[in-house]
Amino acid sequence: MRDSTAVVGEGRLSAQDRARVATWRFRLQGGGVYVYLLPSLALLALFTYYPMGFSAYLSLFRWNVLNPERIFVGFENYLILWREPLFWLVLRNNLFYALGTIPTTMALALFLAVLVNQNLGRVRSVYRVALFYPTMVPMVAAAMLWVWIFNPGIGLFNYYSGFLGVPRIEWLYDRHWALPAIIIMSIWKNFGYFMLIYLAALQGVPADLYEAASIEGAGPWRRFWGVTFPLLTPASLFVFVVAIISSFQVFDQVFVMTQGGPADQTNVLTFYIYQNAFRFWDIGMGATLTTIFICLLLVLVVVVFRYVGRRVYYEAD
Amino acid sequence: MTIGERVRILNHRWRLDHLATHLTLGLFALVTVTPYLWLLSTSLKLRTEVFTPTPKWIPWPINFGNYAEVFDRAPFGTFLVNTIIVVCGILAVQLLTVTLAAYVFARRKFRGADILFLLFLIQMMIPIHATFLPNFLTLKSLDLLNTRVAMMLPFFASGYGTFLLRQAFKQIPRDLEDAAVIDGCGGLHFLWHVLIPLAKPTLVAFGLISLVSHWNDYLWPLIVTDTPDVRTLTIGLGMFVQQESGADWTLLMAATAFVTAPLMGIFLVFQRKFIESFMFTGLKG
Repeated sequence: MRDSTAVVGEGRLSAQDRARVATWRFRLQGGGVYVYLLPSLALLALFTYYPMGFSAYLSLFRWNVLNPERIFVGFENYLILWREPLFWLVLRNNLFYALGTIPTTMALALFLAVLVNQNLGRVRSVYRVALFYPTMVPMVAAAMLWVWIFNPGIGLFNYYSGFLGVPRIEWLYDRHWALPAIIIMSIWKNFGYFMLIYLAALQGVPADLYEAASIEGAGPWRRFWGVTFPLLTPASLFVFVVAIISSFQVFDQVFVMTQGGPADQTNVLTFYIYQNAFRFWDIGMGATLTTIFICLLLVLVVVVFRYVGRRVYYEAD
Repeated sequence: MTIGERVRILNHRWRLDHLATHLTLGLFALVTVTPYLWLLSTSLKLRTEVFTPTPKWIPWPINFGNYAEVFDRAPFGTFLVNTIIVVCGILAVQLLTVTLAAYVFARRKFRGADILFLLFLIQMMIPIHATFLPNFLTLKSLDLLNTRVAMMLPFFASGYGTFLLRQAFKQIPRDLEDAAVIDGCGGLHFLWHVLIPLAKPTLVAFGLISLVSHWNDYLWPLIVTDTPDVRTLTIGLGMFVQQESGADWTLLMAATAFVTAPLMGIFLVFQRKFIESFMFTGLKG
C-alpha cells in the first residue's frame, strides 16, 4: 500500500500544492486532533478511569447500612477481607471457573476449526451455524435453558448421560457439581466464537505449506503439530487473553442458575461485589472488592502488553 | 494404472477422510443444537406433557398458548422496544465517537498519541463487570438511574471499536489524503467521503458485534433499572423467572425462546454476514 506514492508522488506536484499539503499536515498536528478525541476521552475518563480512583478512595471508608455517614478507616476493609474465608472461596471459585473453561474451550475451538476449515462443500456453513449460534443467545436465556436441562428429576442432561453410565447428579443443587454445571454451559455458549477466530487465522495459513509437508510424508497429525499449530500461535494468544478477561466477567450464569449457592460454592468476584453493594448495602466493602478486581485486571494488562500484546497487536498493524 | 483409475482412487480416499470429518462434526453440531431444540420443544408443549419419564421431542398437540400467556403476564413488548432503543442508541453514538478517534489515531502524528491510544486499549480490558459499583454511584449522583440513557452511557466510547477502525483507516494510502487536500476535500470531508466508505466492512462488523453484545447485556441494566417500563428483554426475562418461581417450564421456556428469537432470526437469515464479521474482527484483533 505504501509505495502507491507514485500515483500522487509529491515530486510531481507544483510548489504551491506542496505548500498546501505541508500547511495541512502542520495544521492537523496542532490542537485540532484533541477536538476529535474529546468525546471518547471524556467518556473513558468518566466511566473507566474515574471509577478506578473513586473505588480506591471509597475502599478506605466504612460506609454501609449501619454507618450511613462515611467514616475513614484506612485499610480496615482490606484486613477484614483478608481474614474472610468467603473472600478466598470466591477467588478459588473464579480460578476453578477459569481452569475449567479456558483450556477446554480453546482445545474444542481449535479442533473444530481445523475440521470445519477443510473442503467440505456446502454443509460447511451448516456446521458453522450449528456450532456458532450459542454466541447469539443472551447469557441469561442460555442460563435459564440450562437450568431446565440440568433439572435433576426430568432434565435432559441426566437422562442422556445415564446412557453413558454416568450416575444421576443433582447438578445445581449439589455443592460439588454446581460449579461444573456452570462451566459446562459456559463452554457450550462460548466455544463457537473462539472457533471462528481460529477459522479466520487458519485461512491465513498458506496451502502450499501443507502440500510441502505432505510431500515430505507428514500425516495429518504431524501436519497439525508441525505446520498449523505453530502458525496459529498469535491467534491462540489472542484467544487466551480474551478468554481470561471474559472468565472474570462471569455473572449472568451465576445470578440466574445458583445465586452463588449452594453454600457459596459458585459465588464469584462479580457476584460477590453485587451482593455486598446491592444486597447488604455495604458500599465500602463493595468498593474494596472492586479495587481488588481492578488491580487484578491491571496486573493482567501489564502482563498482556509486556509478553503477549506485542506479538498479537503488531500482527494486526 | 490409467489416469482415470488413479483419480478415482484419490477421490475415494478423499471421501473416506471426509467421512470421518463429517461424522465428527455432525456429532458436535448435534450436541450443540440439542439444547436449543429442547427449548423450542418445551415452549410448545402443554403443561402436563413436560413430566414424561423419557424426553418427548415432538410437542403434540402443539400449544402456542404459552407465548400468549407470557405476554399477558409481563410486558415483553415494552421490553423488546426498550432493547431496540438501547442497542441502537449505543451503536449510533459509538459510530460517531469511534470514527472521530480512529481517524485521528490512524492519520495524525501528535504529542501523546501513544499514551492516549493505550488508554483506549486498556478500556477493552476493564469491563463494566469490574466498574459497575462506582459507575452506579456516578449515575446516581447525575440523577439518571432508571432511565434508558443510563443503560447506554458507559458504552458510548469503545476502545475496541477505535482499535478496529484505526486498523482499517491505516490501510488507506496517505497520498490519497494529500490528493484530496489539493482538491479541497480535507479533514471531515475526507473522512466522510473517502475513509468511511472505504472502511465500510469494518464498520459493519463492529456494528454487528456491538448490537449482539449489548442485546445480551445483563449486569449493568439490572443494576440501573428498577421499573418494567424501562427494562430490556434480558432483565425482563430475569424478573419473569423470579416472579414465576413455581417452575412452570413451558412458560419459562416460551419466555426464554421469545427473548432469543429476534437475534436468532436475524442471525439465521444473515448468517454469512454475521459469521464473516465475527471472523473478521477476530482476525484483526
